[in-house]
Amino acid sequence: MKKGKIVKVSGPLVMAAGMEHANIQDLCYVGDMRLVGEIIEMRNDVASIQVYEETSGMGPGEPVETTGEALSVELGPGIVSQMFDGIQRPLDTFKAKTESNYLVRGVNITALDRERKWDFTATKAPGDYVETGDIVGTVQETKVIEHRVMVPHGVKGTLKTITDGAYALDDIAFTIETDNGLKELTLLQRWPVRRGRPFKKKLNPDKPMLTGQRVIDTFFPITKGGAAAVPGPFGAGKTVVQHQIAKFSDVDLVVYVGCGERGNEMTDVLNEFPELIDPNTGESLMERTILIANTSNMPVAAREASIYTGITIAEYFRDMGYNVAIMADSTSRWAEALREMSGRLEEMPGDEGYPAYLGSRIAEYYERAGRTITLGSDDREGSITAIGAVSPPGGDTSEPVTQNTLRVVKVYWALDSSLAQRRHFPSVNWLTSYSLYLSEVGTFMNDELKEDWSGMVQRSMTILQEEAELQEIVRLVGIESLSEKDRLTMVIAQSLREDYLQQNAFDEVDTYTSREKQYIILDLILSYEAEGREAMRLGAYFKEIIDGTEALRDKIARAKFISEDNLADIKAIKQEIKARIHEIVAEGGMTKNA
Amino acid sequence: MAHKIAVVGDKDSVLPFKILGFNVFAAANSQIARETIDSLAERNYGVIYLTEAMAKEIPDTIKRYDAEVQPAIILIPNHKGSLNIGKGRIQENVEKAVGQNIL
Repeated sequence: MKKGKIVKVSGPLVMAAGMEHANIQDLCYVGDMRLVGEIIEMRNDVASIQVYEETSGMGPGEPVETTGEALSVELGPGIVSQMFDGIQRPLDTFKAKTESNYLVRGVNITALDRERKWDFTATKAPGDYVETGDIVGTVQETKVIEHRVMVPHGVKGTLKTITDGAYALDDIAFTIETDNGLKELTLLQRWPVRRGRPFKKKLNPDKPMLTGQRVIDTFFPITKGGAAAVPGPFGAGKTVVQHQIAKFSDVDLVVYVGCGERGNEMTDVLNEFPELIDPNTGESLMERTILIANTSNMPVAAREASIYTGITIAEYFRDMGYNVAIMADSTSRWAEALREMSGRLEEMPGDEGYPAYLGSRIAEYYERAGRTITLGSDDREGSITAIGAVSPPGGDTSEPVTQNTLRVVKVYWALDSSLAQRRHFPSVNWLTSYSLYLSEVGTFMNDELKEDWSGMVQRSMTILQEEAELQEIVRLVGIESLSEKDRLTMVIAQSLREDYLQQNAFDEVDTYTSREKQYIILDLILSYEAEGREAMRLGAYFKEIIDGTEALRDKIARAKFISEDNLADIKAIKQEIKARIHEIVAEGGMTKNA
Repeated sequence: MAHKIAVVGDKDSVLPFKILGFNVFAAANSQIARETIDSLAERNYGVIYLTEAMAKEIPDTIKRYDAEVQPAIILIPNHKGSLNIGKGRIQENVEKAVGQNIL
């Protein structure tokens, strides 16, 4: 094929002349070192190429060769539990091959292991008619993920041969007689990352994704197929929130994209996840996790690609009928990568130097999330839940990345540095965060728990909001000036904050709270409130109630540390509350005189 | 808005106030006194006179209304003489308001 010539090198951006035969978004090999790059702009015969590897030492005159293919990911067995870089190179193989802890340039390795043989079990028989997306067989990829081999896009016809057996990725596993002749197919598919994988129909996401995090599940729930943003300043706990969701959400598969953040954070994941047991399957978390790492010292251009690589893999598993969650930490670094490339391309900058198309790129990404009916004749249902961290500089959420993200996501978990400083974790601010799925999830939970869950959530939220108003008065004239009713509200709100919303990610029991346990604890706090108010109505004083229930409130506070196996113990506290407060009312404050 | 005035205490001490047109509530023990005061507070009484002897028994109740605008609970001696609690409270309040004891 004809080769172009480099005319300019500017960091990760290389311009090459003589490329009239190439097309935009083609993958290229750039320079003598054959670095991987992608064409992002064409002017006459000059192509602007973003190079996914370090370009130092490269100069004009070196050859550029286009492959004529778009940047694609390999999809097949062997993806799960792997760690890839931004353009889907497996990092452990990479390390073994280059014997280096850092990325070495110009290394060409396949994304998936070609040697390994996978046990393929056919679920269709020769002679069956299959269309795009139909599952023809399965491979048990890890203990929890059954890899469903689908008919690739654009292929339909009659299965000619298909047999069980051990296949490597390049072996022909089945053949399909199509209108255009016989098609030989392997377990492997390729898909260009910048194009969303097609589906039949998009559905309204209405089932909650349980994360085990009380503040999220109760007040700001996300649905399977929803999109959420976690903006927060440094040290507010974005990464911990993302890790917690990756660990405990009740999805089948998690794709974790570490995008431009510290390498240690990915190390944490690598160290912790294999040891943690998934409460939903009882197996190691790594069995259902795919990691994509482009840490802060890795090439900027690949950062831009990492997000797309991640979501394309997520889409592939969605098409199998799985519920997938994708975390991106952090989308701000990704936007900064866009900005860097845009600046080098000498494009007209928009707000804060970000390219004018920032909004559409962000929307494009989040819109690939959703609950869908997948292609294929059996109408499988799959979902992708996208959760993106945003790191607004200085914690100022009026900056373009946060604003553009909020435009497309329906859940907003605002992390608050002042809460983090007070050691309130997860530092999700309950006054500024929101979830537009609250009513759908409320309906679902009411049916599920057979209780008035949404009413309880509403009541708790009202208490917290009242507290915020009362806090203003307290700051001005002191707590003494509040009426007894308001002081009880303050006590309940404090209990909600400290005993319910605060959750220790590093405590063995507290780190995950099931739906039932969340209900029971919230019910405890609210019934304490109801009993307290009733006692006041009957003439008991605030002080008497508070002094009389000190031990009880301590019990409520410790309820969250009672393990999931002993939920009855927590339930029993409710009876204690009732009995104790009735005693207080009966005594009528006369204990001292009795 | 007009407020009513109540007098609470042992029967012998509070009855004479009836001549002045105050509403009189006899309380035989502290439990009744407490319930009476709580109910009066809800019923738009502006000033409640309470005998010192009774007040000694229910400090919580008195403290409860300290921070409220109404009712104002004023302690009075009973027929057996003064316990000086009422005077002490006035002095305390003056000190709080003015900053030093000027009485």
